[in-house]
Amino acid sequence: MTDKTDLVLDTVPTAPPIEEKPARERIYIDGDEAHFERVDLTNVDLMMFDGRRFPHLEPRRLFPRTGLERYITLLDDDGEEVAVIRNLANLPKAEREIIDDCLNEYYHVPHITKITGRLEKFGVIKFFVETDRGDCTIELRNIVHQIKLTYGMRVMFLDNDDNRYEIPDIRKLDRKSMSYLNDYL
Amino acid sequence: MEEVKQDYLKNRELDEGEELLLQSAVEDGERLVFVLSTDLNKKSRYAVNYLAATDAALYAVDEEGKWDRIAYDSIEKCYVKRNYGNALYVIRKKDGESVNFSRFSYKSASLFDAAAQFTERMAGGEVGIHEASVAVEAALERQRSYCPKCGRALSHAGAECIYCQSKHKLVKKVAKYILPHKYVLLICLVLSGLTTATAMLPPYMTKTLVDDVLPNKKIEMLGTVVIVLLLAYVIQYGIGMVRSYLLRVCGDKIVRDLRSDVYRQAQYLPMRFYDKTSTGSVINRISGDTSTIQSFMLRVTQEVVVQVFTLIGIIVIMMSMNWQLTLLSLIPVPFVVMGSRIFGKKIRPYYRKIWRRWSAVTSILTDSLPGIRIIKSFTNEKSATENFDSYNDEWLKTDIRSARITIAFPQIVSFVITMGSLLIWAVGGRLVIENPDFITAGDLVAFISYTSMFYGPVNFFANFNDSYQSTLAAAERILDIIDAEPENNAGEGRVLDHMDGKIEFQNVSFSFDRSKKALSNVTFTIEPGDVVGIVGTTGSGKSTLINLLMRFYDGYDGKILMDGVDIREIDMEYYRSQIGYVQQEPMMFHDTIFSNISYGTPEASVEEVMHAADVANAHQFVARMPDAYDTVLGERGTGLSGGERQRLSIARAVLKNPSVLFFDEATASVDSETENLIQTAIERLISGRTTIMIAHRLSTLRRANKIIVVDKGEILEMGTPEELLAKKGKYWRLVEIQTMSDKVAASKAEERFE
Repeated sequence: MTDKTDLVLDTVPTAPPIEEKPARERIYIDGDEAHFERVDLTNVDLMMFDGRRFPHLEPRRLFPRTGLERYITLLDDDGEEVAVIRNLANLPKAEREIIDDCLNEYYHVPHITKITGRLEKFGVIKFFVETDRGDCTIELRNIVHQIKLTYGMRVMFLDNDDNRYEIPDIRKLDRKSMSYLNDYL
Repeated sequence: MEEVKQDYLKNRELDEGEELLLQSAVEDGERLVFVLSTDLNKKSRYAVNYLAATDAALYAVDEEGKWDRIAYDSIEKCYVKRNYGNALYVIRKKDGESVNFSRFSYKSASLFDAAAQFTERMAGGEVGIHEASVAVEAALERQRSYCPKCGRALSHAGAECIYCQSKHKLVKKVAKYILPHKYVLLICLVLSGLTTATAMLPPYMTKTLVDDVLPNKKIEMLGTVVIVLLLAYVIQYGIGMVRSYLLRVCGDKIVRDLRSDVYRQAQYLPMRFYDKTSTGSVINRISGDTSTIQSFMLRVTQEVVVQVFTLIGIIVIMMSMNWQLTLLSLIPVPFVVMGSRIFGKKIRPYYRKIWRRWSAVTSILTDSLPGIRIIKSFTNEKSATENFDSYNDEWLKTDIRSARITIAFPQIVSFVITMGSLLIWAVGGRLVIENPDFITAGDLVAFISYTSMFYGPVNFFANFNDSYQSTLAAAERILDIIDAEPENNAGEGRVLDHMDGKIEFQNVSFSFDRSKKALSNVTFTIEPGDVVGIVGTTGSGKSTLINLLMRFYDGYDGKILMDGVDIREIDMEYYRSQIGYVQQEPMMFHDTIFSNISYGTPEASVEEVMHAADVANAHQFVARMPDAYDTVLGERGTGLSGGERQRLSIARAVLKNPSVLFFDEATASVDSETENLIQTAIERLISGRTTIMIAHRLSTLRRANKIIVVDKGEILEMGTPEELLAKKGKYWRLVEIQTMSDKVAASKAEERFE
């Protein structure tokens, strides 16, 4: 004799399964299955240990603000993604250094070490700063949109010409610098 | 031998040392064409470097005077590589070597784009120097069209910046709103003077009561004093009521004018402003900041004046009564003034922070509530609430932090002031007891009353800084809109006799921000009456072409001509009135269907609107609705299907009777049957008009006599559909892919029916 409950369960319509096949095959690099060779400032050749080779790829961060080491995409000359490195920390040291160098070159943003002055005139705010690449002046017109604080300590500036600057950790700034900055955070 | 000074293009004046440096780098016999100063060296350090172009080669000169030279005839390709933080001028040589020739910040990006064009043309050897350097000349001219002080766009190259001319902008702006109400404000001021004067009377009457009426038991005089006091209070509060009403009306008018101005200005702000500013923050400025400024204006024009007079009046009375006690009562004043200054410095950043946090809260509201269907369909109510709460909590934390200062300060001020009164009681009371000839009890009571009145203005000015600081923060944000440069030449510029619809793109390059290029060197011509299809993958730059043609963005390199006239020279209002624009997701307003169709043509008659709806295949479905043309649509057109909204937007375009038509994916989000209805409507509309159609579905382009294929911001192919199919290039591939997918879709549909 069949249990009534079973009958009900048997007749419940189920949704058709979603096709498993992904839209496009993505190569994930998790550890030591690939070797990189740097070909210029921001590009590498990728040799997979299964024999596949991909020339002239540019490593880019998929999360440039929130995940500096996670999910590094490798783009070919047409801007098409070829592979993704899940986590830089899992790569062998030599491979990691190659990718790091390319990323550092591409994502080079001056790191502000000190704010030496501030001037507000004609609706433009000028920050006079010392960076790890020399002294410069940052000009902003909209403090609300051009200064962003993330994680309570990292500050990104986007100046009137779309140049980026960064303070990796505002806790390391001196008091005077902080006093110039604090008004806008 | 005397050196002949060369004339060449440059992005800034060079001093003698720099000139010599460049001359020494350039080989004998070569002539400089242009020199671009950069702000970075090749190692990304801040330093002045140069990119110099002669008639034979390119030079990169660094800050130490070292240089690299590459002759044009060895160059295969030259381009600007945009990195995250800066850009590189890359040259690929014919021997395959790739050279990072120069590095620069985005300040110079457009100049280097032009330099790359120059280099490629020179390397190609097809044109002369003058022709090759046209793009560099144009880029330098454009650079001169921005104010060097504030970076805002100027009306023309080298013009004086209107914004930087105004030195007392806040005062001027505020005065503009107050002046129309000057007579009412003046009356209010006089009324204030009257109430203030009558307020001085009660302490004097108290003195009479204590010193004369009560000790001498003068009953009749008591009645007179009470009547005088009653009259004083009636005048004080009666006039106060009238004055408050007048001020309220005046204040409402000021805030209405201010809001209208900000909203009006917001209508004319370029799209670039909205790309970087959330709607929530604009709403916040129109609603909250205008009220802050209004109340401050009234405080300045009324309270400040009244309080100054009160202060002077009381000091005179107190001095005449007893100058020693008056000086004693002034002791707390320096502490209050000093405290106010410290308070002002501390509180201003908090007001900015509170505003930023509040603006974030408003942005969440304006973003999420219109998308409530999505939130519900993903059962995301809880996470939406949590997200809102997190921002709301941030606001709360900041507000509480500021409250510690804003609440504590007035209390401390009041405490210091009370100490002053205690001092008067202690010293004055002793004097009354020990030396009644020096001061009477009545004098002391009156003096204490005047002292408390004296501390009123002191307290006012101490707290005035608080509202001044919050107003400064609000004014900054309001001026950000009021002083932002509006779209160029709205209401001015050339008006053409007739627009035939000949469109020419001449070497147009554009980027939404300087770190990413959206269009590169685009050149094509569309003849009047042409129906042109623009195809390409998502993000290829199709819609950007329409955005530039609509003049949503004017800051591009190169030229776009309409009937041979640069569109930036044509009056914006006239220009847009000649264009019909149908978007992928047409915007409907919370109004009747009739008003939505006649949105751009409010003077249209009923029959004209109905005819437009007929042409757009919309009349039939409108007629079936219970309220027909009187149907009020929900926000953003809710209550209608996507296809119905699209047909109404086509009816709008029909009614406008434009010379030129742009369709941006008009049939992208509708089913095949509706697509047919829309398609026939479009075909009726485009007849005889220059039409540009962006379409994913190539079937939409069956009437097109010209196809432009866009890829990565460049024109890949251009020609008649037959020519491009014969060419078997990108267009042919797209047609093949779509034919295959249509076949698959058709067979699947058949399977389902079976």
